[in-house]
Amino acid sequence: MSDWAVRVSDVSKKFRLYHERNQTLKSAILRGRTSKHEDFWALKNVSFDVIEGHTHGLIGSNGSGKSTLLKCLAKIYWPTSGSIDYRGRMASLLEVGSGFHLELSGRENIYLNGSILGMSKKEIDRKFDAIVDFSGVEQFLDQPVKNYSSGMYVRLGFSIAINVDPDILVVDEVLSVGDEGFQRKSFEKFLEFKKRGKTIIMVTHNMQVVEDICDTVTWVEKGEMMATGKAKSVVASYKKSLD
Amino acid sequence: MSYLSDIWGSRELLQNLTNREVRGKYRRTALGQLWSLANPIAAILIYTFIFSFIFRLPAQVGDPSGLNNYALWLVCGLLPWLFFNRVLTIGVDSLVANAGLIQKVYFPRIVLPLSLANATMFTWLLEMGVLIVALSLLGSFVLPWLPLLAVFMVVFAMFSVGVAMLLSIANVYFRDLSYLLTIVLQFWFYLTPILYPVDMVATQSDRLGGLAGTSVTLLNLYQLNPVEGFIEIFRNLLYDNAMPELSRILIALAWAVGAFGAGVWLYSKKERQMAELL
Repeated sequence: MSDWAVRVSDVSKKFRLYHERNQTLKSAILRGRTSKHEDFWALKNVSFDVIEGHTHGLIGSNGSGKSTLLKCLAKIYWPTSGSIDYRGRMASLLEVGSGFHLELSGRENIYLNGSILGMSKKEIDRKFDAIVDFSGVEQFLDQPVKNYSSGMYVRLGFSIAINVDPDILVVDEVLSVGDEGFQRKSFEKFLEFKKRGKTIIMVTHNMQVVEDICDTVTWVEKGEMMATGKAKSVVASYKKSLD
Repeated sequence: MSYLSDIWGSRELLQNLTNREVRGKYRRTALGQLWSLANPIAAILIYTFIFSFIFRLPAQVGDPSGLNNYALWLVCGLLPWLFFNRVLTIGVDSLVANAGLIQKVYFPRIVLPLSLANATMFTWLLEMGVLIVALSLLGSFVLPWLPLLAVFMVVFAMFSVGVAMLLSIANVYFRDLSYLLTIVLQFWFYLTPILYPVDMVATQSDRLGGLAGTSVTLLNLYQLNPVEGFIEIFRNLLYDNAMPELSRILIALAWAVGAFGAGVWLYSKKERQMAELL
């Protein structure tokens, strides 16, 4: 067994379900309280390891807690209890093009978005051509992003994100971006990433993709971990539960 | 401490976000950055007309600079106030306005208010540059005071962004705070000696004596306002060309460190919950 790259230990996440949420001073003063809520556990005692170089899938039906888990892995949510440890640099790709400034040009946005995703200026300088090449928008590089077509917009966003080059990549279902040609290109990039021994954690509903590229899988249902382990066997039991 | 090193680690992001604000703001406008000078100029014209020409406010003579010009005297206090006003009104929304970003990417959230303050600082620098040229042309020997001025601009910026950070988090809980802030800032403006000298408040305060049988005077209450001290310091340096009182400097420093420290502390506490709260 090789070393783990990500270790999720006993992670639980509690949300508050608001029956009444007073998000204005007026209502807080008039009603004398800010909220009425009950607790909801979106994740309960989830633990698993992801081995370095493996691609790990998170599966489960809608509302099972897998997106919450992914957001915890991306450091956007913080677990209520338990911990997540990383060996290496983690980058997340939950949405492409978040943080673009519409009035700025594609060129300026590459630097802005790159640094939001954690790249240094030197790194971006080095990868600039690769990013532009991959996105296929070089003709419009000095146009403000607001004039981009939605396809160009997501392609540029995706190209920046995929070039962050982390040790651990956390992705939501973003591989369905752009037209077919671009999808194929990004899928190849993804496989290349895998080939270079990087660790990937992804959420997807597409069981075919899971069986094709994931080494290991964790299946969550209603916040509880149903199974974790080799992709084939977990997917099989997941499919069985659906029948 | 690790929180501070986190912030230090994202200084490039801070710089890029600042650029985003500065460049994005006046993109596709004919006059570009010059627009940021339009607001203060309009305010100066209006206030000078009303207070100097119609209301005949007593002349303000700079000691030892010997300047006697209401408009200049006004601007020395008005520009810092406008900066403060902008940092607060933009800063209070810095988290709510960037909710989409916060829910999708991890980065130290504190760079959002800091970058806005930096971008506003840029505008302020531009305005102060014009003011310094005007002062020099009209006979204020302001050059030797510039280093000290720069220091106090940074101190005042720390105070402003500290308050803005506290407000931005409060605004996540109470979304109507930004509306309330507009009203509060209006009161605050007229309760700060920008349009009129503090001596006039002192005169009224002497006339009233101790309030409600105590030895607390109106002036004591009036001077609780931290911005008052800052405005006096800026006027001392720019208009009077004199060293501000030591006690005033110390109080200003304490406010700046206090507000900034409180802001950073609150961010380090609340940062992890931010994505859920928005």
